[in-house]
Amino acid sequence: MAATRVVVDPITRIEGHLRIEAQQENGRITNAWSTATQFRGIEIIMQGRDPRDAWAYTQRICGVCTVVHAVASCRAVEDALGIRIPPNANLIRNLVHGMQFVQDHVIHFYHLHALDWVDVTSALKADPAATARLAASISPWPNNSATWFAEVKDRIAKFVSSGQLGIFTNGYWGHPAYKLPPEANLMAVAHYLEALDWQRDVIRLHTIFGGKNPHPNFLVGGMASAINLDGTATINAERLTDIRDMITRAQRFVEQVYWPDLQAIASFYKDWASIGGGVRNYLSVGEFPEGNIEETDKLYLPRGIILDRDLSTVHPYDPSRVAEFITSSWYEYAQGDDVGLHPYEGETRPKYAGPPTPWTYLQQEKKYSWLKSPRYDGKPMEVGPLARMLVAYAAGHEEVRAEVGAALGRLKVGPAALFSTLGRTAARGVETVLLARRMNTWYDALVNRIRSGDVQTFNADKWEPESWPATAQGYGFLDAPRGALGHWVQIENGKISRYQCVVPSTWNAGPRDAQGQVGPYEAALTDNHPLVDPERPIEILRTIHSFDPCIACGVH
Amino acid sequence: MTSPSRPAHEHRPPIHAGALDYARRVPPPSGEYEWVYLWGRPLRFMHWVAAICIVLLAATGLFIGKPYFVPAGDPESAYLMGWFRFVHFTAAAVLVMTGIVRAYWLLMGNRFERLPALFPLKRRDLRNMIEVVKFYLMIEPEKAPKYLGHNPLQQLSYTGIYLCAVLAVVTGFAMYGQSNPGGLIYTAFNWVNPLLGGAPIARFLHHVLTWVFLIFIPIHVYLALRADALERTGTISSIISGGRFVEAGEHYVDAES
Amino acid sequence: MYYPTSHPWSADQTLGDHLAERGVNRRDFLEFCGSMCAVLGLSNSMLPRIAAQLEAVKRPSVIWLQLQECTGCVESVLRTAEPTIGDLVLDVVSLDYQHTLMAGAGAAVEKALADSMAANKGKYVLVVTGSVPLNENGIFLTIGGRTGREILEEAARDAAAVVGVGACAHFGSVQAARPNPTGAVGIREIITDKPVVNIAGCPPIGDVVTATLVHFLTFGRLPEMDSEGRPLFAYGKRIHDQCPRRAHFDAGQYVEVFDDEAARKGWCLYKVGCKGPATFSPCPIFQWNTRTSWPIGAGHPCIGCTEPFFWDTMAPFYGRLPNVAGFGIESKVDTIGAALAIGATAGVVAHAVATGVYQLRHRKKAEAAASAAGSSTTKEG
Ligand code: HEM
Ligand code: HEM
Ligand code: NFV
Ligand code: SF4
Ligand code: SF4
Ligand code: F3S
Ligand SMILES: [Mg+2]
Repeated sequence: MAATRVVVDPITRIEGHLRIEAQQENGRITNAWSTATQFRGIEIIMQGRDPRDAWAYTQRICGVCTVVHAVASCRAVEDALGIRIPPNANLIRNLVHGMQFVQDHVIHFYHLHALDWVDVTSALKADPAATARLAASISPWPNNSATWFAEVKDRIAKFVSSGQLGIFTNGYWGHPAYKLPPEANLMAVAHYLEALDWQRDVIRLHTIFGGKNPHPNFLVGGMASAINLDGTATINAERLTDIRDMITRAQRFVEQVYWPDLQAIASFYKDWASIGGGVRNYLSVGEFPEGNIEETDKLYLPRGIILDRDLSTVHPYDPSRVAEFITSSWYEYAQGDDVGLHPYEGETRPKYAGPPTPWTYLQQEKKYSWLKSPRYDGKPMEVGPLARMLVAYAAGHEEVRAEVGAALGRLKVGPAALFSTLGRTAARGVETVLLARRMNTWYDALVNRIRSGDVQTFNADKWEPESWPATAQGYGFLDAPRGALGHWVQIENGKISRYQCVVPSTWNAGPRDAQGQVGPYEAALTDNHPLVDPERPIEILRTIHSFDPCIACGVH
Repeated sequence: MTSPSRPAHEHRPPIHAGALDYARRVPPPSGEYEWVYLWGRPLRFMHWVAAICIVLLAATGLFIGKPYFVPAGDPESAYLMGWFRFVHFTAAAVLVMTGIVRAYWLLMGNRFERLPALFPLKRRDLRNMIEVVKFYLMIEPEKAPKYLGHNPLQQLSYTGIYLCAVLAVVTGFAMYGQSNPGGLIYTAFNWVNPLLGGAPIARFLHHVLTWVFLIFIPIHVYLALRADALERTGTISSIISGGRFVEAGEHYVDAES
Repeated sequence: MYYPTSHPWSADQTLGDHLAERGVNRRDFLEFCGSMCAVLGLSNSMLPRIAAQLEAVKRPSVIWLQLQECTGCVESVLRTAEPTIGDLVLDVVSLDYQHTLMAGAGAAVEKALADSMAANKGKYVLVVTGSVPLNENGIFLTIGGRTGREILEEAARDAAAVVGVGACAHFGSVQAARPNPTGAVGIREIITDKPVVNIAGCPPIGDVVTATLVHFLTFGRLPEMDSEGRPLFAYGKRIHDQCPRRAHFDAGQYVEVFDDEAARKGWCLYKVGCKGPATFSPCPIFQWNTRTSWPIGAGHPCIGCTEPFFWDTMAPFYGRLPNVAGFGIESKVDTIGAALAIGATAGVVAHAVATGVYQLRHRKKAEAAASAAGSSTTKEG
């Protein structure tokens, strides 16, 4: 059979504008190209601005992981200017970022990923009573009643019969790749709807500390939300109780709905545990500082690197070995297109070199994406929940070992299953369980500090530009829901002179580098990867979605 | 020598009108003097009321921009910013009234007060401008062309300061109107905000103008005092009494229109 | 609490039928209409009209284009409470094209778009998030190989109404900040032949978007707008004039630096840069995320995100005055101004001294000249 060229543009149920081109032969993908089709130039826009404002601009890189660029930016500026934030501010940032993870991962699973595995139309054949029995067998979640499943089924039936399918129009319904029994489909659809309500509720934690979501407010030097138990316009007892209840509801939903659903669905798709592995290196910069920011051994999720899938060694992360290539990207560098630049020397100079629009195919072009190609020590790295769980697992993180071990045991697969599309999705679930639980620890620590009389949330020492050196540079790292994030800032005379972000989805979705090495998306799509029907590329969606793409992040 | 609006009808003996001590030692001018009537009542009235308003506006405005004292106590009883803004807006309203008076007098005033008197557009004025600059720089302090009304440099700076006042009023009302969208002031002035690129730019301009006034005032007052002291022709009192004494034989550039 | 509340609403049903079937009684329905009246700032005398209109409408097609953006606006709409996003998507409208939520991808959804535009010609509502990059022929945003501009122009042609959601669609938001490398513009620069409503904000409060849609469905036209195209029912007033911290502003009680005693008392954020005095927004009234809080409520100054070009005009965010282009040393106006005023005073004093010195010398010369003349006379005489 001749090779078929497949184009999926737009890739939907992601953040941003992504195009995948692939070569398909005999039901398999033999080559793949990942293309980001949006550029804004935020790194350029940062030049000349007040470093204290930088968090707000860079936050608008993405409204989905709306916390992470703001925090990375604050950390970079704080690093450059030598500002240490008070412990309360760190705990608040952990709570805000923790809830970001939990909410983002659950939304990703139900609203962005699930329809790759769940056939909504098949749910119509489900027996509500059997669905309730299935649900009861995996979870004590109180809403899982037959009456309710019946109502959801009824709702879907009427919706489908209306002929106006809305967001479900032209889905790949009935594709043979769908394997779930009708009851599992119905259960998942019901929880899809519940998760929509749930996310709106728990994210209010951001609103209490940051005034709104998306795009809550942050502050270089701490947090702006003052604590005063007796105040009406501050973090007080009523607010703290609300937060505690949200954490409880978040944790309950994760443990009783999301994680059981994920494992139940995964058990029908175990073949995906040997598909879509891709690049063999994994990077985590670690996250959730439980001490000062420079105490990297006090990160709840550890920092480190796994090379060539070797879980026996965790290599240390050395920030000076990060470089970005533009060999396949629509940019130019002063020193030519084949060098890799460290972010402190980084350049963002867009130069489109593709065909005129409208395009049919891009893949024959040498340059084919707005994404750069970040490399660590010259190697492509996968970042994200899987990388974090692998690094933590290899580093001997007890909770991670216990949860990952239990999940592998329940699915009856070995650790090698982790290096796959399914492994990626499962790692996200494990991490959500751990973080929802960990938020209680941070909450308790915050309350204890307040009880002992410490209400400080901001360090004003270096707030005024007069207190800054004439030149300064610094970086801020954090592992975002989609993986390792770094912001590098250089400041001259109180103004930003250079700003570079190397972002999770740039690591994962970036194109080929100067050596011709493919990025993680491209590698995963050609790793034992099926594509049965080029007209209905659901397999591509499965693997790409397992990374949880965010292209506005990737190109900024 | 005749005053343009009304003929000089009386001759008075010279009087000493100097303000600074050293100036008193300058030999008093001798000869015949005439009293020339220059500034009508409306202009004088508007000048002093506006001067008071502008000083008040600058003081309260700078407080609004950077409120430096913080009262203790509950907000119910304290109303500090409230009062400052009240004074600012009241002075603003009065300033606008003086502006109306001046605008009317631009049409109805005498030759020294009417619109053309504020623009040094005549060829001789342009030429004399250089002379006046030389005079102030003390390059040729003796040769300054003498004017009864404003000399060309004065014309220019007064036009400029009037323009600044208009801009301060317009940007001020543009900001003020925003508190009542759809209201009269909003409707009349809000177009200014998008024109400038947003209300914050109007605020910025308004703020910068304050400093223009604060730079203008000392120079202006000094030059008035100086002229008074050196020429001893009653320059300062002219903006109070309306006229000044000029040497009968002296040539004044603007004596005949 | 997560119990689903709505039934599907089939194409041939009116909302009235649909609600009756759902067991929503007339009183509940009128209550809903009443709350919509309140949100939209309409008098209660409009209630029967709203009720009648709402009962008669069918599920209208909504086509949602996502252009050059960060998806924050989509997320904000996902947080709406009244109606919830689930109800909106399944019951209130037929969301025929929306990248973040659609099941299909690639050619399948592009076909869904084309089909819906053809089937609902002149009747669909076009929602747009994101801006349109114009530099280099728009190459900075393509979907399916076509530029954002081309897609927008095509989709707008047969739309019954165009609802721009967010600062990006309004004026290009952060990507339009200086130096605007991609030439990003708001959609009103492209769609010039029909009214576009701008739900301003970065992002706006999701409930304002749904309320605007309800307004359109009820009255068949977009709500009254200000000169920025923002609906007056939400953006009719300044934050500063609705702010619960206003009493502290008037009192002269300000936060001097974050987390000081004043901050812990909830005083006014004016001196740490609050842009409430120049920002029209419903934040203090509607509040965010099911009325939980809002930026100033959580202790951070407003950065003016509903105003055009706020990334340039409202920055620096912690300063009182903007960084005006070309002026260079922003917020140092006071330093410069004071220096010049003092300089002028000093110059004036120096000039006075110089004048004095000159006069003295001049007088001596004159006296000398006079005495010289006198002595010669004496000699002569
Ligand atoms: C806020 C303060 C002040 C402002 C903005 C101001 C502005 C002006 C303006 C615009 C004129 C020209 C009037 C016209 O032809 O329309 C003028 C004239 C005059 N002002 Fe002021 N003035 C101020 C304060 C003062 C003070 C304090 C004095 C006295 C020491 C003074 C003395 C005079 C005199 C003597 C004139 C006569 C004009 C001339 O010399 O030809 N002014 N002033
Ligand atoms: C010579 C005339 C004036 C001067 C020197 C002056 C000065 C100032 C200054 C320094 C500020 C503070 C700006 C800032 O940093 O935010 C201010 C604010 C303001 N001024 Fe003026 N002003 C003048 C005339 C006016 C007029 C005619 C109006 C008309 C209503 C006006 C209305 C305002 C308003 C509304 C504010 C903002 C106050 C607030 O938001 O609470 N000003 N003025
Ligand atoms: N990639 C990415 Fe993000 C994340 N997580 C950020 O850094 O999504 Ni918008
Ligand atoms: S307006 Fe703001 S929140 Fe909305 S898409 Fe644009 S940058 Fe994101
Ligand atoms: S906090 Fe901001 S909006 Fe509120 S009163 Fe103070 S300046 Fe005005
Ligand atoms: S920053 Fe935006 S969200 Fe509201 S309080 Fe200000 S308008
Ligand atoms: Mg970058």
